Amino acid sequence: MAVEIFNPNPTVFAPVKPSKSSKAASLWLTDADDTDANAENTNDAPEPIDQEEIFDLIRSIYDPEHPNTLEELRVVSAPQITVDGNRVNVEFTPTVPHCGMSTLIGLSIRVRLLRALPNRFKIDISLKPGSHQSEMAVNKQLNDKERVAAALENPALLQTVEQTLANAYRRGEPAED
Amino acid sequence: MSSTSALATNSVEQLVTTWIVSGRDEDIAAAVTEVSEGRLLAVVKALGPYLTSEQDELRTKGVDFLATVIGRCPANTLSRQSVKVLAAFFCDKLDDTETIIPGLKGLLSLPSICSSVDAENVPSVFAHVRMRALVQSVRFSVFSIIDGLITHHRETLKGMKSEFIRPYINLAEGEKDPRNLLVAFGIARVILIEFDAGEHIEALSNILFCYFPITFRPPPNDPYGITSDDLRVVLRRCLSAHSGFGPIAIPIFLEKIAAGSPQIKRDTLQTMAECFPVYGPALARINARKLWNALKLEIFQPTDSLTEEEALSTVRVLVVTIHSEDAQDEDVQGLARDACEECIGILREPEKSQAKPAIKVLCTFMASTPSVARYTLANAVPHLLKLFADPREVPARTSVLLLLSDLIAAARNSSQMHITESMPETSSPLAAPPLAPFKDEVLGALISGVATLATARAALAGLTGLVSTPHLLSDAELGFIVLKVNEVLEKCYDEDHSDDSNAILKLLMTISSLSPMHVRDQTLPFLFKSLPLSPLPRDNLVARTRCQHVLTALGTLCGPPPLFAALVTEFSPRIVTIAFSPSDDDPELLAAFLHALLSVMKRVLVGKVDDSHDDVAGYIDTLVQALYGLCVRAALQGGPAREPRVIDVAGVIIGLVVQRLPLPFVLSCVLIALAHLLFPAFLSGKISLLCSDEHVTAEDRFATQTSSCIQAEATTHERNLFVLFEAGIVPLEPKASSLKHLASSTLICYSKVIIDVDINTCAECILVQGLAHADNARQAEAIFRIVGCIVNKHVENLGPFLEHKKTAYWSEEIMSRTATPGRRRQATRVWTWICKGLLVRNHPLALEFIHRLFDVFEDETIGTDAAKAFGDIAESDGVLTKRNSAVVKFLWAQKFATGILPRLMSGAKDDSNSVLQHANLVALTALIKVIPNTSYAHEMTQLMPLLMRALQIPDAEIRASVIETLLAAVTQQKSTHDVLAEHAPALVRQMLGYTKSSGAIRISALRYLSVLPAVVRYDVLHPCKADVLRELSEALDDPKRSVRREAVDAREVWFKYSG
Repeated sequence: MAVEIFNPNPTVFAPVKPSKSSKAASLWLTDADDTDANAENTNDAPEPIDQEEIFDLIRSIYDPEHPNTLEELRVVSAPQITVDGNRVNVEFTPTVPHCGMSTLIGLSIRVRLLRALPNRFKIDISLKPGSHQSEMAVNKQLNDKERVAAALENPALLQTVEQTLANAYRRGEPAED
Repeated sequence: MSSTSALATNSVEQLVTTWIVSGRDEDIAAAVTEVSEGRLLAVVKALGPYLTSEQDELRTKGVDFLATVIGRCPANTLSRQSVKVLAAFFCDKLDDTETIIPGLKGLLSLPSICSSVDAENVPSVFAHVRMRALVQSVRFSVFSIIDGLITHHRETLKGMKSEFIRPYINLAEGEKDPRNLLVAFGIARVILIEFDAGEHIEALSNILFCYFPITFRPPPNDPYGITSDDLRVVLRRCLSAHSGFGPIAIPIFLEKIAAGSPQIKRDTLQTMAECFPVYGPALARINARKLWNALKLEIFQPTDSLTEEEALSTVRVLVVTIHSEDAQDEDVQGLARDACEECIGILREPEKSQAKPAIKVLCTFMASTPSVARYTLANAVPHLLKLFADPREVPARTSVLLLLSDLIAAARNSSQMHITESMPETSSPLAAPPLAPFKDEVLGALISGVATLATARAALAGLTGLVSTPHLLSDAELGFIVLKVNEVLEKCYDEDHSDDSNAILKLLMTISSLSPMHVRDQTLPFLFKSLPLSPLPRDNLVARTRCQHVLTALGTLCGPPPLFAALVTEFSPRIVTIAFSPSDDDPELLAAFLHALLSVMKRVLVGKVDDSHDDVAGYIDTLVQALYGLCVRAALQGGPAREPRVIDVAGVIIGLVVQRLPLPFVLSCVLIALAHLLFPAFLSGKISLLCSDEHVTAEDRFATQTSSCIQAEATTHERNLFVLFEAGIVPLEPKASSLKHLASSTLICYSKVIIDVDINTCAECILVQGLAHADNARQAEAIFRIVGCIVNKHVENLGPFLEHKKTAYWSEEIMSRTATPGRRRQATRVWTWICKGLLVRNHPLALEFIHRLFDVFEDETIGTDAAKAFGDIAESDGVLTKRNSAVVKFLWAQKFATGILPRLMSGAKDDSNSVLQHANLVALTALIKVIPNTSYAHEMTQLMPLLMRALQIPDAEIRASVIETLLAAVTQQKSTHDVLAEHAPALVRQMLGYTKSSGAIRISALRYLSVLPAVVRYDVLHPCKADVLRELSEALDDPKRSVRREAVDAREVWFKYSG
């Protein structure tokens, strides 16, 4: 049970539509069920990891305080992610400037990306400039390898992080009924 | 006389003595006979010394013997007097600690003849039994006795009032064993409901509320199988049995709900929901505020969604309880009013997260009483509408409309609920729906919302709710909605928002299921207009995408008969124009466009056939003839309709229509006529008979003038038409296509037409001639299917044909090594289809044919083909189905699989001949991929090693099917998990290897890796975890996005996998 709720009533936004890989319209009309198979076989061009894909990875992480996803609360959004070669920069916006959960949210994002992105990437996670009272401290904490590793040694903390990641696999798709 | 009775006494004494020593069952049976014959006295007399013995053990045994005997006697053997004496005797024995158990047993077994006797005994039971000193099983008999008394002598016990209730409470106090509690709770409920328990409420509450909430957790392997839910339900029924509990219960409920774990919270909420109606509105009203505050917490800050749901339904019960008396009043006071105002207050900020639970509460109110529902709507709807209209709240409009649409859906459900709840006769089903007073304003807001892109989807949800509310909207209003929505749809297509257009199509489908005319008269013309008349140029991607969206919309919408009729009317001339347009600068474009139009019709037809629409059959004269005409004319004269893909889709349409032709007499002439036409048309060059004369005149013949499209002289395009022959033949009813019947009448009707009268010759001719000249795979496939179909439907007339296949065909075409490999493979396919046709109807010849395949397993040319044929044979396909009027026996594939599996398995295990073993393994994997996994689940222990070996076969197709089989086994068969654990580490290594290979196998291997942790114990796979995580990180960098996605999910699963 959270002792203190930092923002009891945050604004909920409509989710952005789940991103779809844009397909060039083929000349022949195909049935919906066999398009995937065709696309798989015919197109051999590599598809590099991009902003959308990383956003998909983190959009359905739960906020530690609310039963809403980070996307619904506009904590993360696609334009706030940049990919440049092997560097990834993820910027996020806490719902209130005094949000004490910011570090935890950042940690969840980091854990998710550590697990879901190849090792070659260097991941930077930062608060949106000017969005938080102790922006520098949080940024420093989130990008300090040692401190992140130490935090993940803490079983209680790790469990909280796992809870926020429970539905991360949905990638913005709504829950099935 | 006296000597016989003395003899009897002696024998009884003997009986008793031997039993005391040996405890044999026969002695009891003998004693039961004695008592049944009226010699109870003798038995008691013989027992005398034991019943009063000084030795504890003997006394116990004596009473036990008597109790057992009495228990086994038929109910009517004992007289009233003896029951009374026995009862008194057993009661006496209750104060003796040694005889209490048999004494209770005796009392329990006494037939309940006279109530007075038992009533007298009750006090002595209470007086002598000291529950706390007794073990569980004895206490259980005490409860059982009281339970029995209550069942049989309820009136007497009721008369005893406090004399019964008070001692019982003392007796039941402090009971802890769940088995006894189940009985005790049952007794308590009866006392509470039927007895005058008013003055004992507090004492009774003491022996009941101390158990609430139940925290009992059954021990593992509990032999009694009592779950905590059993206890919960029984206790709940006690707590809700008397209204007097109310004042005691509510503070307890409030305490438990605030402090409990989620499980206790749910239990408390469910108990509350069950109790409130019993405790009554007065009490609920007094405590409404406190209860609402507690429940509110569970809704606005829910622990989990299940608890939230329970809390909402408890709120509903509370509101119904409070307001049940003023159900029809217009003015609502009390909780509903306060809570409603509170929620509307929260709704002032519709975009905030608390608005969602608030609207849930309001929706719950909608499902309570009609007056509360009306009150809620009367307050919430104007509030939301005002917010919507407020220019300062424009950014929140989406949220407002979403909330509004939730409310609309709740209003719809509540009106349906009220109708189904009340008697359909008494209440007028035409009663205005609750939303009726606000209809115009709501509709106005939604229509204006739908016009703006940002709010469109929310507004569409609201409109769908409105439209699906019965008796709410008038026909004109529906028309208005369709008109407005069309405008939005057009904008969607122009600006390419396909997600919105899906929501629009859903709304339009809802409308067209109510009244299709609006969609037909407004939406369809607009969609038709946006379709180009001729194909769009290749480089105009935007317009082509738009066109595809329009086609998708048409395919989705045109299901209802009037809409489909409009579609066919519109498309037919377009199709003709495209098919025979003079310009042929880019034939592929034309063909693709033609194919697209036909595909839309096909898609609609598939849906219609699934829903068994009756209008489909009516298109036999128009659509089918036109399509035949179109394709034949193109084959003869050229044009885009020659394209095989176009012919394919035309074939599917023809097949679907023919499937739906009704069998019985009325239209069967159509059917027979069709059958008459098909064979001469394709086999004897009378093709014009089948086609609409607009395209093909009687003079049109195949290139060879008199002969059929399967002969050598026919062109490729003409032979491609074989697909259409298949389309017509395959779904034909066997009776209609029976050639004997057919031939005679054909000869009469078309005297010049000469076809083979004998079906054997006919099938042979199709097969031999067709295959001899087939110049692509699709033609050959059509021939296989036709043969399979004819075999299946007419096997009784096909004796010579099958005989020839068994002998000459088998040895010349399949076994013979002189034939070319291609020819032998083709023959194997033919063989496969013959087997299939026979097997589907469980024909005795089927197995003989199938077993022949084993003979060629060693053949290096066709061995693998023969092995793979096992999969094709058992696979269910779209050809030999009930819909296509094939003879299909129930569970044919399962029966086949059960029969053939042992042979394949032993073949795959036998390593004396590696070629044979390999072929068996291939056949095995091919077979189990296509059969339902229940039919091989029991063999899984032995199959696993074989499947593991099959994974080594360097054939991507086989590997993929093995992984698919393994996946199906993991997800659907719990029983195989032990077997799996044995092979899991090896499987993990294998799968990790595949993640580095290429093609689709990477995805299936990753999927398999991600399901394993769920079904294999952690200690088994612990050694692999580090490897898996390391190797999956390579897959995270796969060039394909879909592979990376699976890799991320699989790796996440493995991260969480721990002991």
